[in-house]
Amino acid sequence: MSESKDITGSPDAKSKGNGRLSAVKEMPFFVKCALFWLVFIVSAAIYTRLDRLFGQALPLQDPFYQGFLFGGASPVEGPSLDHLLGTDILSRDNLSRLLHGAWVSLAVAITVVSFGIVFGGLLGAFVGYARGRWETLVMGIMDVVLAFPPLVLLLALVAIYKVRSLPVIALVFGVLGIPTYVRIARANTLGVASREFVQAAEAIGTKRIWILFREIVPNILPSLFAYALINAGFVIVIEGTLSYLGLSVQIPEPTWGNMINEGRRDIRRTILPIFWPGLFLTLTVVSLNMLGDWFQQRVAIRSSAL
Amino acid sequence: MGKILAARLARLVATLFAVSLLTFLLVEQLPGDPVTALLPPEALHDLETMERIRTELRLDDPALVRYGRWVTDALQGDLGKSYITDQRVADAIRDRIPVTMELALLATVIAAVLAIPIGAFSAYREGGRFDRVMSGFTTASLSIPAFVAAIFFIWLFTLKFNWLPSTGWNRITDKGLLANLKTAILPASALALAPLAINARLIRADMIGTLKEDYILSARAKGLRSRYILMRHALRPSSLTAITIFGLQFGALIGGTVVIETIFALPGLGTRLISGIYQRDVTMIQGITLFVATVYVVVNLLVDLLYLLLDPRIRRQ
Repeated sequence: MSESKDITGSPDAKSKGNGRLSAVKEMPFFVKCALFWLVFIVSAAIYTRLDRLFGQALPLQDPFYQGFLFGGASPVEGPSLDHLLGTDILSRDNLSRLLHGAWVSLAVAITVVSFGIVFGGLLGAFVGYARGRWETLVMGIMDVVLAFPPLVLLLALVAIYKVRSLPVIALVFGVLGIPTYVRIARANTLGVASREFVQAAEAIGTKRIWILFREIVPNILPSLFAYALINAGFVIVIEGTLSYLGLSVQIPEPTWGNMINEGRRDIRRTILPIFWPGLFLTLTVVSLNMLGDWFQQRVAIRSSAL
Repeated sequence: MGKILAARLARLVATLFAVSLLTFLLVEQLPGDPVTALLPPEALHDLETMERIRTELRLDDPALVRYGRWVTDALQGDLGKSYITDQRVADAIRDRIPVTMELALLATVIAAVLAIPIGAFSAYREGGRFDRVMSGFTTASLSIPAFVAAIFFIWLFTLKFNWLPSTGWNRITDKGLLANLKTAILPASALALAPLAINARLIRADMIGTLKEDYILSARAKGLRSRYILMRHALRPSSLTAITIFGLQFGALIGGTVVIETIFALPGLGTRLISGIYQRDVTMIQGITLFVATVYVVVNLLVDLLYLLLDPRIRRQ
């Protein structure tokens, strides 16, 4: 990479020319599968929202329809053409509930990741570049939040605030997720701020706020994204755990966690109503972890070549 | 060393102060009358009790005064009393903590003991069949949520094979070690899955670096057996990192046993926290949260100090 490019623009400029598709082509087979699964889950979640928007006009079973009450299905059916993954204890369609449940997991994960990158990333970059008293103060506050074991503070919060709708849950998760992003952004900023292209920009008298947004932020974004992928998996597990305990989005709204909880009562008859959400949960987290690991390696290689 | 110790202790006090303040504020800034938050819904029409609690807690004092009182009491081991079960919070914690501690310890030990050989042999044959299988295994065990694994274990080992009980707890003091382990092994294994994967990956990465060192080459040239080299020469420099990680995991697990205890219906701190949450037992939630966070912070500090103590390079400075 030439000197002039380092000064004027982000070092990503070159790779953009190759197009995003080449990155997919370079992926190992398993990482491609992971990406495929994530695309599937995200589109399924969006599809279920559209379905609700159009008053269940799209081809998908109603996730709340109880076949044994209104006819058409019986509880804990095996897979059939009508119900591809069978029915649950209340004879509702498993597949439809799984896809609707994906929305909750993804909405929470996406909120945490965007809060983390936008607020956490900016805050971390700012204090890491500005240094001084602000840095001490902000990092001190972040350390206090991180001093709690992750699940415990969350439990205390959702316990005390009784409202457990999706926006509230996503907001609580989102705010509690910020500190780690601040830490990562700050640590990376400390490294980037000492690089030649930042010194060069300072030397020619560029405004510091301009340096922050043009030189520092673009260079810490890749490591934030890599963390975000792994973090999204972690968040989905925590949300599932809270859902399982009945402390996340409330029934009858299906979530993977509360489906497992409901299925547990009939575990002696069949494990299928637990198996499906467990599988979806695990596959999604595996995919995020694999994609995150792969991305992390690429970031490490690229930043060492910078 | 003394200087480091003093600085760490000062930091510990500052963190604990902030943690207690945050825990206090959680309840303090609830909208409305705190008495309505403290009491179960069915007791809310009982104006006499409400008035009694108000004077008992001296709720008309300013928040800062009440915080000071709460912390002073907490320092003397008094975390208040549940207004729902009438139990002292400190007593509840004392009753429940042995189960949680044992689970966390057992899970840490399982994760450590299994991760060392897995990590070491994966590093020794980097890219080989064992390494690839184990890399798949660690990715999977890192990704399966503990509560899903726990339910799957119950289905497999209790319902299908009928080997182990799915609920209940035998105290060591009552029934002996073997009966105790029988009830502890399933929950501990479910808890150990994620730490196991993390440890195995870290040890592997660490040892791949170590195995390229010259002194390993010279040990090989001397004709030492590879198992001996792996365990005695290569593992030793990694052990410092490993011990730190094990300690941190133990600290995190004390808060992490919550769901697993609930699934296996174990009489631990986690089940008490969850039942407190279902009953909206605010004093109990507050007390347990403060306690768990304190243990977590203190364990993390001890691990840091242990690291200083073990690493001669830092010790000598």
